[in-house]
Amino acid sequence: MIILQALVNGIVSGTLLAVPAIGFTAMFAVLRFPNFSVSGVATLGAFAGYLAYGAGLQMAGSLAIAFAVAGVAGLAFDKVAHLPLIKQGALPAAIASIATGLILENVVRLGFGNEPRGYDRPIARDVFLGEIRVSPQQLETMGLALLLMLLVFAALAFTRIGKAMRASADNPELAALKGIRPERIATLASFVGMGLVGVGGMLLGLDSSIDPLTGTRILLSLFAAAVLGGLGSVPGAVLGAFLIGMAEELSVLVVGSQYRAAIGFIAILAVLTLRPRGLLGERAY
Amino acid sequence: MSLLQIAGLRGGYAAADEIVKGADLRVDAGEIVALIGPNGAGKSTLLKLIAGLLRPSGGSVRFKEHEIAGLGAPVISRRGLSFVPQERNVFGTMSVAENLEMGGFIDGAHARKRMAELYERFPMLGEKRRAAARTLSGGQRQILAMAIALMNAPDMLLLDEPTAGLSPRAAEELFGTILALNKTGVAILMVEQNALEALSVSARAYVLVQGRPEHEGRAADLADDPTVRDLFLGGKAGPMVDAHIPLPR
Repeated sequence: MIILQALVNGIVSGTLLAVPAIGFTAMFAVLRFPNFSVSGVATLGAFAGYLAYGAGLQMAGSLAIAFAVAGVAGLAFDKVAHLPLIKQGALPAAIASIATGLILENVVRLGFGNEPRGYDRPIARDVFLGEIRVSPQQLETMGLALLLMLLVFAALAFTRIGKAMRASADNPELAALKGIRPERIATLASFVGMGLVGVGGMLLGLDSSIDPLTGTRILLSLFAAAVLGGLGSVPGAVLGAFLIGMAEELSVLVVGSQYRAAIGFIAILAVLTLRPRGLLGERAY
Repeated sequence: MSLLQIAGLRGGYAAADEIVKGADLRVDAGEIVALIGPNGAGKSTLLKLIAGLLRPSGGSVRFKEHEIAGLGAPVISRRGLSFVPQERNVFGTMSVAENLEMGGFIDGAHARKRMAELYERFPMLGEKRRAAARTLSGGQRQILAMAIALMNAPDMLLLDEPTAGLSPRAAEELFGTILALNKTGVAILMVEQNALEALSVSARAYVLVQGRPEHEGRAADLADDPTVRDLFLGGKAGPMVDAHIPLPR
């Protein structure tokens, strides 16, 4: 029964991890560098949502604020700090993104201090499915995460701009030849990707609490999820997030919670050794 | 007035590495023109300079009487000049239908109608409309690549080695497709390694050597020209070459 409970917990944390992982991998697919500033942006989104919710906005409104603030901040850092370096290669841009992530984290620390803060949510009894326990908060955040994923998939599959984004990720030169402007797609990918990362930060905060290290704590799992599924693949990021989420929860039963973070490293190591393109392959939709 | 008029065009992949060194050529409306020459002559680079994938370092490219040199691929595509690259010319992870939709990105209002026309013209595309482009055979992929280019309703196609990697039969079928397209009024400038076949479907041709057109003329005349044949067509008699003419030493 304890394994089943760990699996359910893993599904919940995997669902929450999938949202920022989709943002991370979508940005990689178009911009072609791993943007590690997602750690700071996730924290920023969590705090923006926290302030909005504290100011009396409903959940949907608070999520929209988290999305917009994270999207704008992430886009600004991309334009100012990361993309000017991309001509020198992915590595300088990736290193710059580590620096901007640290800047964002410390800006939040300067404004809010180090103490953990919790969203002021009504207390509710846990739901029992047999002996499996799930909190109503977990169900709500999971539902919101699934709804967001559905929206992202629908946008990529059915809208003109979503298809243009996939085309640009698949074959940027041909996309440009067809009149799809690469700089517009890059801007869109950056804004939407970072927006999803910000919403992911808020959803994770709803499930527990937030502090300046909220984003940093998920960075390794998020990166591992994207690599495991195949960097640049949106369904891959979802699959990777579920697998990492479940593996992390199950690992607690075997090796204890202090080694939970090792799962991400092991997953990256295993993928790079055995299947470098990831489970679903790079750039697959 | 020519549809495409190029004068003194220069450029390459880097400023210090000029591959095309002053090219002059023209393509008239509704014409097929072949661009042949040895490997490394700059044929594909010339097409990329015209299409806006590379920025010319000098010279002029006039299309429909407007200067387009240096405008960039998205703008040039919108003007009615469609380039079909030799490789990576489809969106491999997307379905055939989605590939066509992206081909018509700049003119979404007419996309459905044009897709229906293309399904009629190329029934294979209609049958495989839900299949991912990467699952198509080489010949089918080339047909899709051309169909993507036709979604813009272009006045002119730039084809970069359309038969590269195809079996002789698939290449023959593709040349037939190119001729059929041309009959609908689309002008074509085509780079081909398969020079004799290219000359057989073209009205005129240029022989590019070290970044400059060295020979120009009617395709049939060039195919018969002993120098051109010996140097650039492998010295073999082609379908349009008089077999009684002794090959030059």
